Amino acid sequence: MISQAEYSKEKKVGEGTYAVVYVGTKQSSNRKVAIKEIKTSGFKDGLDMSAIREVKYLQEMQHVNVIELIDVYMAQNNLNLVLEFLPADLEMIVKDTTILFTQADIKSWLLMTLRGVHHCHRNFILHRDLKPNNLLLAPDGQLKLADFGLARNMGSPQDFLTSNVVTRWYRAPELLFGARHYTGAIDMWSVGVIFAELMLRIPYLPGKDDIDQIDVTFRALGTPTDKDWPEISTFGTYNKIQFYPPPSREELRRRFIAATENALDLMSGMLIMNPHKRWDPIKCLTSQYFVELPEPTAPADLPQLNKK
Amino acid sequence: MSSSPKPSNDADAKVKAKEQASLRVTDDDLYRHSSQYRVWSFTPEQLTQKRAEINARATAKIEQGLRAFRETHPDLTSEELAAIDEKAVPVSTDEELLLVSYFARMILSFAGKMNLPTEVAATAVSFFRKFYLSNSVSEISPKEVFHTALFFSCKSENYFIGVESFAKKAKTNPNAVLKHEFKLLESLSFTLMNHHPYKALHGFFLDIQSVLAGKVDMNYMGQVYTDCKKIITDALLTDAVYFYSPPQITLAALLIADEALTMRYLQLKFMITEESPTENAQGEKQEPKEGTSIPVPGQKLLEVIKECKAIISNKVAPPKEEAVKVTAKIHYSQNPLTVLDRLKRQRESNSTATTPGQTPVPEENQAKRQKSDGTTD
Repeated sequence: MISQAEYSKEKKVGEGTYAVVYVGTKQSSNRKVAIKEIKTSGFKDGLDMSAIREVKYLQEMQHVNVIELIDVYMAQNNLNLVLEFLPADLEMIVKDTTILFTQADIKSWLLMTLRGVHHCHRNFILHRDLKPNNLLLAPDGQLKLADFGLARNMGSPQDFLTSNVVTRWYRAPELLFGARHYTGAIDMWSVGVIFAELMLRIPYLPGKDDIDQIDVTFRALGTPTDKDWPEISTFGTYNKIQFYPPPSREELRRRFIAATENALDLMSGMLIMNPHKRWDPIKCLTSQYFVELPEPTAPADLPQLNKK
Repeated sequence: MSSSPKPSNDADAKVKAKEQASLRVTDDDLYRHSSQYRVWSFTPEQLTQKRAEINARATAKIEQGLRAFRETHPDLTSEELAAIDEKAVPVSTDEELLLVSYFARMILSFAGKMNLPTEVAATAVSFFRKFYLSNSVSEISPKEVFHTALFFSCKSENYFIGVESFAKKAKTNPNAVLKHEFKLLESLSFTLMNHHPYKALHGFFLDIQSVLAGKVDMNYMGQVYTDCKKIITDALLTDAVYFYSPPQITLAALLIADEALTMRYLQLKFMITEESPTENAQGEKQEPKEGTSIPVPGQKLLEVIKECKAIISNKVAPPKEEAVKVTAKIHYSQNPLTVLDRLKRQRESNSTATTPGQTPVPEENQAKRQKSDGTTD
């Protein structure tokens, strides 16, 4: 069993509700690592659910596009997750106006995101909090899905799930309607919104609150009808919402100026209202968008954060 | 999990090349990456050794304690020494296993009483049994861990219950539930994912209906499903979970529930022919049916399933009296003084028929009653 002596904590880099994150070093290999120290005091129900989920799911996934859990250890009754050190995230890149990026760069990030999501889904794991901030970037340019604190197993059909998941702007319509049964399609919606955000370089569906999110979503993409989504009238809140027509292809072209037809097809596929029809990772990964030029940028050649 | 290149002969290399040519990641590949396979799959020898080591560690400690006790009590009578030699004995590996199994079954009945989902109960049993693959029952009492295992399983399986209401339902207190939570997590090597055979059962249940479409009665299939679920739950208390994958256990359960149906399904699905029928007493072999071939992989599968069936056919359900005896043994071996107290009380009760004196351990009481009047409660 690896002891705490193997890892040194050097600098506090972040603090969340249930954890403090440090940058540290793995002594035996001199590898730079991030150490997430799970707070244990003040939780009357014992170890926090988010910590349990993070450990549970990361232990099962070894994939280049999922953050690596290097080790776990106990010290002074604290739980420490040793993760690979990833200095940047996609949100920082999108927000940094000094960084220019190309369609090939976007394709590369999207490809890596989809590969990571595919790996989660084929292991029957839902991420449930995909957003640019949780897509971390390694020094070699690889993108990694991180923060599995909301993840869970794909439910059996009879399981009731909570719809209060995913950061608001990236929340799929079935979640906005409070669905208690959902699938990997909720993650795909998030990826679709992230794809749009990469092209626009501003958040695509920035709702101010949960009610506004419904309005913003349907204003941009059209209010679904029971013709394309028969179950929709079973959601209690459906009848109360404003009706917007879906955007024409021409409107989408104007909004996403640089996008090719294949790019628009892919984005629209991930943003189909009906979760049963929404594209899954395999359909996305095998779409024409990834076949046509330009080729995705090699990870090592992707834009990096400017070092201050 | 290690994918380090190993020297291989030509045949192996050919198979490898073929595998690499088809780049599809199969369900088997994914399973081999799971912690259940990487960390919690053992050969019977490995498992036996693991348990023996834990028992040896605990035994050494207890014997040390007994030696120290004798040294600090030089004035013990020969009768007292004899009583200690007889009563204060460390538990054996088999006795440890018995106690773990007893409490594992208790978890199932507790989960049933609390109306917890099947998967929560199954994971709790898994957690609990794994805990005693790195701890001895004489180091941490199963009584202190089984609530913890159940509570932690609720959290891990997304069936959250607050510790206070859990403790209330389980008739214990929150501190007792949480006391060993970290120790449990550590003993689990921080791996919490459990793939139980129930999911595989659902899959086979659907597949049998499609492979044997029109040949099976739906009501009857429902009965098979219910029976299998029970067999699987019993199988979770056996070591089959460390030797076989969930679908293998499920097929073994199906074989127990209805051998004819399962064989018919396997024959159609994997082209298996029943070359060696179920253990013919005379050792006579029936001739394979004409025109049927025996493809090797299918036959191998059948062999594996039958091995697994042999293991899960032995229901693990130790009687309470046995568990009580082991618990008492642990208590005496760790507290030799209580052996002397017991001796004293026995002498007294021999002269005056009184009720047993107060002791802090209820099991000990039961053990005593059982011993003195030959009944159990």
